[in-house]
Amino acid sequence: MKVIKRITWLAVLLASVFSLATAYAQINLDITKGVGGNGIPIAVMPFEGRAPENIASIVAADLKGTGKFAPQPSTSRADYAVVGQAAPGGSRGYIVRFQLTGAQGGQLLNLSFDVPTNQLRAVAHRISDLIYEKLTNEKGLAGTRIAYVALGRGAYYLVVSDADGQNPQVILRSRQPIMSPAWSPDGSRLAYVSFEGRRAQIIVQDVYTGARRSVSAAPGINGAPSWSPDGRRLVFTLSQDGNPEIYALDLGSQYPVRLTSSSSIDTEAVWLPDGSIVFTSDRGGSPQLYRIGPGGGSPQRLTFQGSYNARPTVSPDGRYIAMVHQRGGRFYIAVLDLKTRQFRVLTSGGLDESPSFAPDGKTIIYSNGRGVATVSVDGGASREIALRGNARDAAWAPYGR
Amino acid sequence: MQHLVRILIAAAALALLASCAATGENTGQEQTATGVPDATAQPGVTGQSEQEVYSYPYGQAPSLDTYDTFDTSGGGATTAYAGGQPDQAVAGTSGGVASADRIVYFSYDSTNIVPESRTIIENNARSLTKNPQIITQLEGHTDERGSREYNIALGERRANAVRQTMIAMGVSPQQIRVVSFGEERPAAAGHDERSYALNRRVEIIY
Repeated sequence: MKVIKRITWLAVLLASVFSLATAYAQINLDITKGVGGNGIPIAVMPFEGRAPENIASIVAADLKGTGKFAPQPSTSRADYAVVGQAAPGGSRGYIVRFQLTGAQGGQLLNLSFDVPTNQLRAVAHRISDLIYEKLTNEKGLAGTRIAYVALGRGAYYLVVSDADGQNPQVILRSRQPIMSPAWSPDGSRLAYVSFEGRRAQIIVQDVYTGARRSVSAAPGINGAPSWSPDGRRLVFTLSQDGNPEIYALDLGSQYPVRLTSSSSIDTEAVWLPDGSIVFTSDRGGSPQLYRIGPGGGSPQRLTFQGSYNARPTVSPDGRYIAMVHQRGGRFYIAVLDLKTRQFRVLTSGGLDESPSFAPDGKTIIYSNGRGVATVSVDGGASREIALRGNARDAAWAPYGR
Repeated sequence: MQHLVRILIAAAALALLASCAATGENTGQEQTATGVPDATAQPGVTGQSEQEVYSYPYGQAPSLDTYDTFDTSGGGATTAYAGGQPDQAVAGTSGGVASADRIVYFSYDSTNIVPESRTIIENNARSLTKNPQIITQLEGHTDERGSREYNIALGERRANAVRQTMIAMGVSPQQIRVVSFGEERPAAAGHDERSYALNRRVEIIY
């Protein structure tokens, strides 16, 4: 009898500890809601009907990936609920419906889509973005794409995939290296460096037709292409005059115009929305970022932290410049706020490189030597994207198509 | 693959003047009103007798999952490397094309040519001056640390250092072409000092 009494006591004790923990978790949840931590609890219920894609799990993964939501298996703990159906029908193959409701039962979204089978995944991402936009008033990234370079046995691949790494399509396969993919502002073309023929050239490829055009094949380096905001010009690096310099090419013309003049390395130019250009130069003795006007001119130095700041990428609003930053022999992704001049290291470091801003202006994709990861400009947690083939050199496509 | 845009590049050996064949079932390339040439190949060098580049329209392109990708570390569904010599079988490593008497190694962040390398350059310079019809391609490489495009510039600096030394030894500049692969074609795939030392190099290719 004594034993039973003891067990009862223990059970009571345990129960009180658990309820305390739950209460604590509840409080904690409220505090961290929406600002990292656990995120806004949202129940994404399995979609009814038979569809070859698990739409609910794609939506839940997308929402979790934003860092602002905590998908739940049931509605009991959730502030919001998503229910839906995906069943054969409609004129194109499938009808997908979903409803977003608040905890008080109010309907926030109620939409349906008529899509072919191969668009079910795209619709799931669209639903994620609609929910994200409704609840945060910001545009989501789930429906966007990334381009990256993957490695195979005897081959290099230029891949375009969904932002979550799924649906990886090889738009170029080569026996020689492929580097530095850059999206045109309308998302219809990619400029990149190809070493086909065992020499460097800059190619512009139409993403939707596969048509390719060599826009620069000068002797020496043809590297680091970047698009002008209007999509009509490219800046890139040529070393035809003896050392790497920045050139601008009007795509309607044949002759690039030289923008820099120094005996040092000038490379990795990117365009800002105002038409000015930021690039890497070791003219001061170590690689640092500099800025010139649309037509060149005297460079103004932007970075002063440490002895290695390179490979700038600019947020779409022109406020932030992310870069590769080295200290203590390790390479990090850092960001410079052009408004406040604040410089911040974002990643835990190692072999971090090739940062590229997402169109939301807040998320940065980069390579870390093992693969590709994302980090937010305010220093949120870094998250790896599962990609095959030693993925590197990722570039985030603009919103749209 | 009906929509496959195929570019078959047969690169001729050695001679700069050799023309290259760019053929395909359906090149589908843009007709450039500007007269800028389409993607074409330059003559290659010995050992690279044929190269192939294939482009595909997004939406009808093959999935990366259909290819045998190489993964040295984790990260999702990966195909582990299965046997053979990884350094030789994998794109991204040069596959040991150049022999030891045609490789010049460098210290970290350096373009200095050490005395041992001078002998290697001298031997190659001698055969170039004796055979003025021969063209060499100096291929500069770096280790994997730092920015990829900046490493392209550093690799070119190394290749240019070898070029200058050869010219000082009497080789005609017309016999030398320079290309930098930066960190894109490592000789060793490791992420350690030993691999890095093997990767910081200039290969003298004939």
